[in-house]
Amino acid sequence: MDSLWVAKTGLEAQQTRMAVVSQNLANVNTTGYKRGRAIFEDLLYQNVVQAGGLTSQQTESPTGLNLGTGVRVVATDKQFTQGNLITTNNSFDVAIQGRGFFEILLPDGTQAYSRDGTFQLSPDGQLVTSSGYEISPAITIPTGAQAATIGIDGVVSVLLPGSPDPVQIGSLQLTDFVNPAGLQARGENLFLETVASGPPQPGTPGLNGLGTLVQGALETSNVNVVEELVNMIETQRAYEMSSRAIAASDEMLQYVTNNL
Amino acid sequence: MDRLVYVAMSGAKQLMEAQTLVSHNLANANTHGFRADLARFQASPVEGAGYPSRVNAVATGAGFDHSAGTLIATGRVLDLAVDGPGWIAVQAADGSEAYSRAGALNINGLGLLETRRGELVLGDNGPIAVPPYVELLVGGDGTVSVVPQGQGPETLAQVARIKLVNPDPAVIEKRTDGLVQMAEGGVADPDAGVKVVSGFLESSNVNLAEAMVSMIELARLFEVEVRMMRLADENATRAAELVQIN
Repeated sequence: MDSLWVAKTGLEAQQTRMAVVSQNLANVNTTGYKRGRAIFEDLLYQNVVQAGGLTSQQTESPTGLNLGTGVRVVATDKQFTQGNLITTNNSFDVAIQGRGFFEILLPDGTQAYSRDGTFQLSPDGQLVTSSGYEISPAITIPTGAQAATIGIDGVVSVLLPGSPDPVQIGSLQLTDFVNPAGLQARGENLFLETVASGPPQPGTPGLNGLGTLVQGALETSNVNVVEELVNMIETQRAYEMSSRAIAASDEMLQYVTNNL
Repeated sequence: MDRLVYVAMSGAKQLMEAQTLVSHNLANANTHGFRADLARFQASPVEGAGYPSRVNAVATGAGFDHSAGTLIATGRVLDLAVDGPGWIAVQAADGSEAYSRAGALNINGLGLLETRRGELVLGDNGPIAVPPYVELLVGGDGTVSVVPQGQGPETLAQVARIKLVNPDPAVIEKRTDGLVQMAEGGVADPDAGVKVVSGFLESSNVNLAEAMVSMIELARLFEVEVRMMRLADENATRAAELVQIN
């Protein structure tokens, strides 16, 4: 009985959407997290009766019968809207205001991209993410440096003891993509380049449409709790409807078995 | 056996198909821009020699529900909802022009505007290429304009206009991939009267209460058909008893 399987696709799709909603709610306090969204599409239609088929030599059927086969989740895309900036006053916390990602060097030598600017210092003075991955291009803070300043254009300068002039030791870069929604989320607040995202386009913060950097601030998650709760209610009700359709189809079959 | 049983059986089979259609609508209750499918039953007399007492029921498609869904605010610039009647022109997987109301658009790795299913969105001159931008806007008539990368807001440039059409509901039909096309072939003319709103998506237009009621109705009708089969069976048993020789 087809309707059982059609309704099953409904349950599956709603369940996936619920997983996306839960993931968003769980990451409501994750720095630089971008919320996901499940996109549905209707599955292929079966042509049961062809429209325009001949019903006799002179007449043709005016309408056909196309039965749809359900629904599926076609994509779970990330929404790269700006999160709020919160001030932490930690000198190695950097938030991106606008487009762009920090380039992160993974331990296996490949590149990942992140908007989480919670940087730390490694034992040898390098700027790394909270997972310990180096940022690229590498920034090394010399030992004994007093205060580090990161400008809105990414220039990192430090004050060395005994010298009144700040010394520029490098600059942070940002990388942009044509289609950030096409990036693959890897976990640990990192994204990977894909064919859909387009190639990375590195640049100086503040130029060519890239965002600017804000030192001492972090970008919060862009999850809107109220919206997610409404999505959750909608998902749950749609799930109930589909499960009701399964129950109704089941009762029909049961009636046949009991009464014939 | 009485041929009543075959009439009841074909009725039950058609009801099951109608139930599939209702399940499909319910499964797509959250699919953006989805249009609910409709079906109706048609009488189909069984012709042949003798008195035509038997009339089978045949489920036929009755197109789809053209009423609009509600607009859901998403705040994403590339989420477009058609406000009122009308369709967004896209290039289907087979290369032909088809129409959709699912307006969650995206820019792919090549810079082309596409739907989430990967169909290219068509402008007045074919697919729409969007240059790297700082700011993107979609006007109410489907005009896409951008502030190109590296330039200020004074350089807002028009890129293309999304082809919006509004053919007569009588001349369009659903394809097997869920898009809509002109029933007689060909393409629809652009219509300047179609309005889109950016930052919104249109919900599915499935009326949940109606779908639930028709689901219950179909289930009960199915039971009636099964009861008829049971009666035909009992009739046959009684008739057999009459002619039994003890």
